[in-house]
Amino acid sequence: MNKLVQNEMMKLIAKKRLIVIAIIISILVAMFTYAQYKEVERQREKLGTDDWRTMIQQTIIDQQNRISSSRISDEWKKQLQIALQQNQYYLDHDINPSEPGAPTFMRIFLENSIELFIPLMVMVIASDIVSSEHSQGSIKLLLTRPVKRWKVLLSKYISLTFAISLIVAIAGILSYGISGLVFGYQGWGAPVLTGFSVNDAGLNTASVKLIDQWQFLLMDFGLVWFVAIVVGTLSFMLSVLIRSTAAGMGVMLAALISGAILSNMVSSWESAKYFFMVNLKLTNYMNGNPPPIEGMTLSFSMLVLLVWWAIGLFVSFFVFTKKDVY
Amino acid sequence: MNKNVIRSVTMVSVFFCLLWLVGLGWAVAEYYAGKPDKIPEKTVIEKKAEKKEGMHIVALGDSLTRGTGDETGKGYVGVLMDEIKEKSKQEVRLTNLGISGQVSDQLKEQIQQTEVKRQIQTADMVLVTMGGNDLFRGGQGLLEFNPEDITEIEKNFLENMNFIFQQIRTSNPNANVFCIGLYNPFIDLDDGKELSKVVRHWNYQSAELSATFPKIVFVPTFDLFELKVNDYLYTDKFHPNTKGYRLIAERVASLLTW
Repeated sequence: MNKLVQNEMMKLIAKKRLIVIAIIISILVAMFTYAQYKEVERQREKLGTDDWRTMIQQTIIDQQNRISSSRISDEWKKQLQIALQQNQYYLDHDINPSEPGAPTFMRIFLENSIELFIPLMVMVIASDIVSSEHSQGSIKLLLTRPVKRWKVLLSKYISLTFAISLIVAIAGILSYGISGLVFGYQGWGAPVLTGFSVNDAGLNTASVKLIDQWQFLLMDFGLVWFVAIVVGTLSFMLSVLIRSTAAGMGVMLAALISGAILSNMVSSWESAKYFFMVNLKLTNYMNGNPPPIEGMTLSFSMLVLLVWWAIGLFVSFFVFTKKDVY
Repeated sequence: MNKNVIRSVTMVSVFFCLLWLVGLGWAVAEYYAGKPDKIPEKTVIEKKAEKKEGMHIVALGDSLTRGTGDETGKGYVGVLMDEIKEKSKQEVRLTNLGISGQVSDQLKEQIQQTEVKRQIQTADMVLVTMGGNDLFRGGQGLLEFNPEDITEIEKNFLENMNFIFQQIRTSNPNANVFCIGLYNPFIDLDDGKELSKVVRHWNYQSAELSATFPKIVFVPTFDLFELKVNDYLYTDKFHPNTKGYRLIAERVASLLTW
């Protein structure tokens, strides 16, 4: 088994996909860093100060004005209300929600890439891990060895898990390293609030906790990793089911993008919450953003993802051990 | 392919895999079992916001402060700011805290916020527009025009304004405060004359109240809109348009001294 995993790892590294992913991430991070820098610059110019309190105060006022406008939907109004209450809470307790520095950038980057960007990167590796063996014809060589089929697949799955862990780590390291050039590397110990919850009345601050940024980041990383594993497993399943890598990727891509769109409009279609793709934004539960459908909680989302993960894994192994290879 | 490379990459992956697992476990544990912290609310202003070069204007109030109806988006505050910049040749920093639809009850709440107090503290000039939503309630007040109700509303408004002025003066005893009066956007309508009377009385009371505080100046705008009101109103027939805002700004500008 150990040898098999080693073999799979060798294939992964030889393909140089991880390097491609690292390049993509670094280009994107550089772009985001620049955009963020510009944004801060513009705000400073507009308000004539770089005091974060003034900036938040202005954001609050803007939000209040948007809420008071009669042209926005109730749904949107409620979301704004929650964001506003949260900002006010930060201001009242004199805690800067976005302490300048690379760790804060990393946090924001992770929170924004959890539902689409990281899954896409994972897909690059996961979607052809089995199907490429078909297209290259090497599957026959692999399966004629005196090793059980499930062991072959398991070794592939384990190496995928390792690769996913690496991708998440690469995303973290690169976003820290690159944004730090501009924003500085400080801020690991900055206070962050977590434990906001959303109920009918709006934002509930009864169970708010104050933790250090590095703790928050580690939790975020854990959630990102979990999401990446689930998406990776589903791509893995498709890779087993569909021989064409492109078709498998297309299906997964469609699912992921539909998730991003659905999250914005499913609030009235309640059973949509059982789709895996509307449950991907797990970090929202940590920072108190309202979930796309009312009543969703962290355990609910994780359970849904876990069920999809189990199905994906089961189908992969079932099909792979049974199907005819020719 | 070097075996050692593969082995070390694998080791690193395993390390991160375990680390992320720990993070995941911690996240779930923290989400469900973490104890809420008592986080002290900050009510005292420890450090006076640093005084910068140039002038700092704080604008409080409703949609007039926001500039609703002005196509250029500036509102009277923006126009006034441009004018001050031009004349005084110094940097002007504006903090616009106006919220559309705000009534005096809400401004009373807003002014007690720590951060708002801190802003006012550093201000060289404070602009206030208030009362339009109290009195007209978005045009609704016109339909159920009832003298008794209006007396009640006016009384409440004046009490709130008294409190607001006191707050401003406590936070900042030196800044000039300009309280912009009301105009009657419905002057051309059937009930216009009667409503004008109400507005005049309202303005008179506001001016009286302003006069009891040092350096709080009541700025009348009623006369500006008295003739040809529709030339100066936006299409909603309630907010001023670009020209209307210019009139208000000019009136305030004429009161400024250097």
